[in-house]
Amino acid sequence: MNGTKGRIERFGPSCVNSATSYFPFVTSLASELSQIVGARHVLQRPTELLVYQSDALPGYHKRPRLAVFPGTRDEAIAVVRALHRAQAPYVPRGAGTGLSGGALADDVVLIGMQRMRRIIAVDPVRRAATVEPGVVNANLTKAATPFGLHYAPDPSSQSACTIGGNVAENAGGPHCLKYGVTLNHVLAATVVLPGGDVVQLERHSESETGYDLIGAYVGSEGCFGVTLDVTVKLTPNPEGICTMLADFTSVDDAARATSAIVAAGILPAALELLDHGTIEAVESSIYAAGYPRDAAAVLLIEVDGALAGLDDDVTAVQRLCRECGAREIRTATDATDRARLWQGRKKAFGAMGRVAPHLAVQDAVVPRTKLATILARNAEIAARHRITVCNVFHAGDGNLHPNVPYNGNDPDEAARVHAALREIMEMCIAEGGTITGEHGVGLDKLGFMETLFTGDTLDAMCRLRTAWDPERRANPGKVVPMHSCREWLAAPGAHT
Amino acid sequence: MTALPPAARSAALPLPGSDNCVHCGFCLQACPTYLALDDENDSPRGRIVIMKAIADGALSFDDTDAQLHLDRCLGCRACETACPSGVPYGQLLELTRERGAARRTLPVVARLILFVFSNAPLLAVSMWKARVFRATGIPSLLARIPGRLGFAMAMLASTRRSAAGRNRSYSPRSSVARGKVATLDGCVMEGLFAPVNRATERTLAANGYMLVKAESQRCCGALHAHAGDASTARELARANIAAFEASGAEFIAVNSAGCGAAMKEYGHLLAGDSAWSERARAFGAKVRDVSELLAAAGPAQGGTLDVKVAYDAPCHLLHGQRVSAPPLAVLAAIPGLELVPLTDNDQCCGSAGIYNLVEPEISDLVLASKLRNIAASGAPVIATGNPGCLMQIGAGLLRSNGVAQSRHPVELLDASYAQRI
Repeated sequence: MNGTKGRIERFGPSCVNSATSYFPFVTSLASELSQIVGARHVLQRPTELLVYQSDALPGYHKRPRLAVFPGTRDEAIAVVRALHRAQAPYVPRGAGTGLSGGALADDVVLIGMQRMRRIIAVDPVRRAATVEPGVVNANLTKAATPFGLHYAPDPSSQSACTIGGNVAENAGGPHCLKYGVTLNHVLAATVVLPGGDVVQLERHSESETGYDLIGAYVGSEGCFGVTLDVTVKLTPNPEGICTMLADFTSVDDAARATSAIVAAGILPAALELLDHGTIEAVESSIYAAGYPRDAAAVLLIEVDGALAGLDDDVTAVQRLCRECGAREIRTATDATDRARLWQGRKKAFGAMGRVAPHLAVQDAVVPRTKLATILARNAEIAARHRITVCNVFHAGDGNLHPNVPYNGNDPDEAARVHAALREIMEMCIAEGGTITGEHGVGLDKLGFMETLFTGDTLDAMCRLRTAWDPERRANPGKVVPMHSCREWLAAPGAHT
Repeated sequence: MTALPPAARSAALPLPGSDNCVHCGFCLQACPTYLALDDENDSPRGRIVIMKAIADGALSFDDTDAQLHLDRCLGCRACETACPSGVPYGQLLELTRERGAARRTLPVVARLILFVFSNAPLLAVSMWKARVFRATGIPSLLARIPGRLGFAMAMLASTRRSAAGRNRSYSPRSSVARGKVATLDGCVMEGLFAPVNRATERTLAANGYMLVKAESQRCCGALHAHAGDASTARELARANIAAFEASGAEFIAVNSAGCGAAMKEYGHLLAGDSAWSERARAFGAKVRDVSELLAAAGPAQGGTLDVKVAYDAPCHLLHGQRVSAPPLAVLAAIPGLELVPLTDNDQCCGSAGIYNLVEPEISDLVLASKLRNIAASGAPVIATGNPGCLMQIGAGLLRSNGVAQSRHPVELLDASYAQRI
């Protein structure tokens, strides 16, 4: 690598004009990586890298320069160290189901973790599991099921997304309303830092000794290191579960019912809202769940816990829904019926492809008390820009997901979608909300960071990032806008 | 903010249904080749990107990477039953292969098989030779030698049925008349699994169906369509539509899932042929998997068979035709039969038409996990309703010295009926 050092500094997105000049360097890096992971697991031809140019937000296309897929912990460490020696920037990626463009590698190295999918240990006594980062979320719960346990954070993409990606994005999911997000479930992680050091991050339930590195690492969006293994909490399956589907003739009523349930001090396991457009898409799909097609909105409400007292909560939820105008409340009859109701909700995002060829989705969190007002204003903004918004979201958390199916081949429509979503997000921020509940900032929400945070706060974030990754090679160009980072701007030769 | 997609290219070819893909990735874990190879180029989502790039003109049909990853697709369509947006993946693949067919040559073995299947006299002779060879016992002896020759021998050996299985007879006893049915003979089914075809006829008759013959029927054309030879597939489809129309049958019973899936989709295959499109749609509406007809009739209970059976769903039955419950209803009509769970029984076995002959390494990888799950199930009989799967699993079991055998569900029902009627 020594002989190529002069070219190394130009590797990456800032050097698009000199693409050919560092090609020999890429070739030698590829051959070094091939020696670590095997030639089959290194991709370098542009056609083979094409499919890695998007995550689940396909509006963005950023092609990696090189992709490498380590199969073991040792290979992953060796890959990161090789990239360190080469000073090559990189982006770690799980299953590519993210919704913020966080795992896109813009002309840099992509480290795909999908081959590392061993469940290392399931400990039913300690109620914990240790897994490699490429383990699919739903497969972890499958492995825990024989012990009456499950992994609680359940992103809608749980049938495809990986635990490593969940840790990077601090993923949420419907049941995080009661059980908490990924951060609340990570006990320990082994991480290879961008400089090649392997560190063990641990969190002790009793008292913290030293800084909470798990707290910093979970949700760091691939900017702090590459996860080698994670130890997570497993949650006992509840004694009783009651899943209800309440349908409403107005979105406003459904939003008011949500606020009423939360205000009454009931903590459902999950409280999800799907509006008419979403119901239509789901009911036309293979995951049709029997949601009433003529409803303006449905609430999918799950109450769980010890059998004693469960009925009281169920009765209270039903009463509150009726008071807010629920037309009908259906209760899941058995586990199959319950699974069907949930499949409809969880696959709703994917079903949007039925509505239009392109899809934009946002992830704002707003105060739950203002849900009805904000939804009404969203509808007003959408109507003004003549776009369709399908709402499907974690109502109990106030975590909105406006899905906008549109035809991107129509530049005018695409521009209107952009303008409307920006307006919606700015309105949510103005109402005291924030720009991401679970999808992460990634690339997509970078532009909102300066609206949300002061320069000093962003600068603090930059300094934290630099502590983990002094050379700023891990997931470049994501999360924190570089031009807001004073230290970086002050560095000789810095460019944005 | 979400970036704009590139403007549509003027040279773009249409790829109907591909726009439904929102890249959610829910198909990834359903895909056997993604699970075996760990590269998204070998996943449905990745292949859709490749196919769209080809249709857009951004990627050439001749691109070797694109060809490699499209060729590696089993065509099992498990992604279709995972897809919330209803992307017609199988149709996209066939259309892309059809467009690329003119610009490339298929492997020799594939061309040979497709030619033989499209030529009725040649097919009859080839199957006769195969049966003669099978009767010599040589395939059984060579079934365990390493490599593809051994595997082919094991496939042939696995189609052999005992005298008892070949010579069952009982009289129909249903008092209900359920309509006229013509059965598809099927190239491999009539050629190597004739006892299963007879069992199909007997069990249908025992459940009140009146069997009529569709003379001059041909190969269904599924393999040709999968390989991109759409013109031969259409020619065969037209011949079959005429043959089955002439039979006067209300239903067309198919005991080969791959053939049934293709025949149900004749309407799509001939959509651009104005003289035939309506007839093709009407034909497709009459096609039933044999298990669907049997399940609609009950089916009648048979005599006791004390046997443990695991059911493996053929991809083109479960994913292609979305038929899941009827085969289980057929097995449930057999008193004494214990159905044991088979992990991942909705996943491909690696047979996939002629895939196991043209992509042997990946086929073996996919088969290996199927065999592990079968061993774990402890079942001595694996029921599956497709000749490719019967041979693939049958060969795998023979070669791994397993005691289990693969059987068509109607064979089991037939044996049960022979006990009682």
